Amino acid sequence: MAEKDLAPELTLERVNVAPAQTWNRLRTNDITLTVPARGRKGDVYFSLPRLFEGVECGMGREVTDWVESQAADARYIEIPRGEKREEPIVVAVGAGEVADTGVMVRAGAEATIVVAAGAGEKNGEAGTSASLVRIIAEADARVHLHEYVGVGAAQQHLESVGISASRDARVDVHQYLLGGGTVALGFACDLAGERARVDLGCRYHAGGTEILDINEIVRQRGRNTRSELAYNGVLEDAARKGLRTTIDLVHGAKGAQGNEAETVLVLGDDVVNKTLPTILCDEDDVAGNHGATIGSVSPEQLAFLASRGLSRTDAEQLFVRALYEDALMHAPCPEARAVVENDTKGQSLCIIEEA
Amino acid sequence: MATQLLTVSDLSAGTEDKPILHGIDLAVGAGECHVLMGPNGAGKSTLGHVIMGDPAYRVTGGRIEFDGADVTELSADKRSLAGIFLSYQAPVEVPGVPLYSFLRSICQMRPELKTTARKFRERVGAIADQLELDQGFLMRELNVGFSGGEKKKIEMLQLLLLQPKLAILDETDSGLDVDALGIVSRGIQAYREQVGGALIVITHNTRILERLEVDRTHVMVHGRMVAEGPAELIADIDKNGFERFEKCEDCGGCPMVGDAE
Repeated sequence: MAEKDLAPELTLERVNVAPAQTWNRLRTNDITLTVPARGRKGDVYFSLPRLFEGVECGMGREVTDWVESQAADARYIEIPRGEKREEPIVVAVGAGEVADTGVMVRAGAEATIVVAAGAGEKNGEAGTSASLVRIIAEADARVHLHEYVGVGAAQQHLESVGISASRDARVDVHQYLLGGGTVALGFACDLAGERARVDLGCRYHAGGTEILDINEIVRQRGRNTRSELAYNGVLEDAARKGLRTTIDLVHGAKGAQGNEAETVLVLGDDVVNKTLPTILCDEDDVAGNHGATIGSVSPEQLAFLASRGLSRTDAEQLFVRALYEDALMHAPCPEARAVVENDTKGQSLCIIEEA
Repeated sequence: MATQLLTVSDLSAGTEDKPILHGIDLAVGAGECHVLMGPNGAGKSTLGHVIMGDPAYRVTGGRIEFDGADVTELSADKRSLAGIFLSYQAPVEVPGVPLYSFLRSICQMRPELKTTARKFRERVGAIADQLELDQGFLMRELNVGFSGGEKKKIEMLQLLLLQPKLAILDETDSGLDVDALGIVSRGIQAYREQVGGALIVITHNTRILERLEVDRTHVMVHGRMVAEGPAELIADIDKNGFERFEKCEDCGGCPMVGDAE
């Protein structure tokens, strides 16, 4: 116990920062996290090729440095040119584990990458887990990224992703953030090549006193690049959520288009929900849209659902349950499925019943 | 003589600031098929919603009995579980909820429909095939981005899945092309054959009734029930319109026509 108390810690001040800031007093610009800092003196471990150092990651340089200092051997995977890898690349992190992964998807290749945080964890398990994933998608590459995060209420999880996409590369991202004491996720995608495209769908749920902090940045540098970011979440009880999304239409990105939209359902009186959608624009010939809808279940929806036998409480729970079921239905591998099943928070999932 | 299923007596209702229904009487026996007709704005949809218990409307007088119980004060969800179903004219979009999750949830609310997930999937799949509905729709968000015809098919899917004792179809035929209308009509017919439930069909279009054996026809004008008659009344309205019923409006008492004539 005493040893645990003395475990060295490090405070990561103001990480997960959006490129454009708002008033500090709104307390939505960043998050400060306290993480363990285990000494690595004398360890010999494998680092990623230096090429990955140039990939911007969503949580920022400080978190990247911390993960590199704490992870065991970094894992490097390369998908050869033109090859379609059927088997997903799975990054599974449990309580207290830190993973550093680099994936090189060569020209015309295709890969599915799954980050599963929280599979197989036991109730009450504490600690900080983290995953850093950097992906380089060369021309015409296809990347499917699935992020499943569902850690315990006593846990903290950091997830930082960086992607660099070359000409005609396509990236689709499916994020299911199902809760945890503190979950901080940063995502950065650099659409560097012409016609590169990212489609991101993020679904999240936070309840109790959970904290969810998300920072997502898409830099559109190539001509005719495209980004579609969609967020849909449910917040209950006294959960606190901060979402910062930035589409950066960089000078020279003629014909680029970017859209971001969020719908959040607030079901608790003590919920704190902060959203900062931003479009940065330094080019004339571009289109960028953003919007956010925050609310409760509408009277029309409640009336419709009641006409099918669902009371207000049933209807509200339907939204939460549907999120978990959606995560389960789209789970690309057993590890992702295990995250959902492990994190149902007492939800009676229809699909789980059958298993 | 069918057992009485729904009895609406002297019902008056409206929104918070506007009375819409005035002293409505309607009796539907178990397994009967009734057609409710009337010009636009007559209050037909409102009557359907008030029977369903839509909280947007307030009952100011009269009572609604269903299956031997007074449901006038009952909430819509309880009426639904008791066996009343309303097919919406414009089904509501529910983003964030996949159709499959929704269907599974509404079946789980009914002890008689609880089943294993595998059997449920088979049953939903069979009904979707019957309605020529792509099963890919089951993974999409409820009614979000669906065409008008697809939404109506989804309503039929729910009807066949829930097997209610009474189904109120509020202009289910509106906005449907000929093919979709045929599919929906077959869905209604299947409900009648498989479930044997009662129907109140609100419509302006007699094509949807071609496959149905209609027991009674009712005509509403300006929130009042002004006529009641046999199935033949539909053909009469189709030919002559509602003009003669609308004339009743200023007479003070709206005498019943149809049978009364």
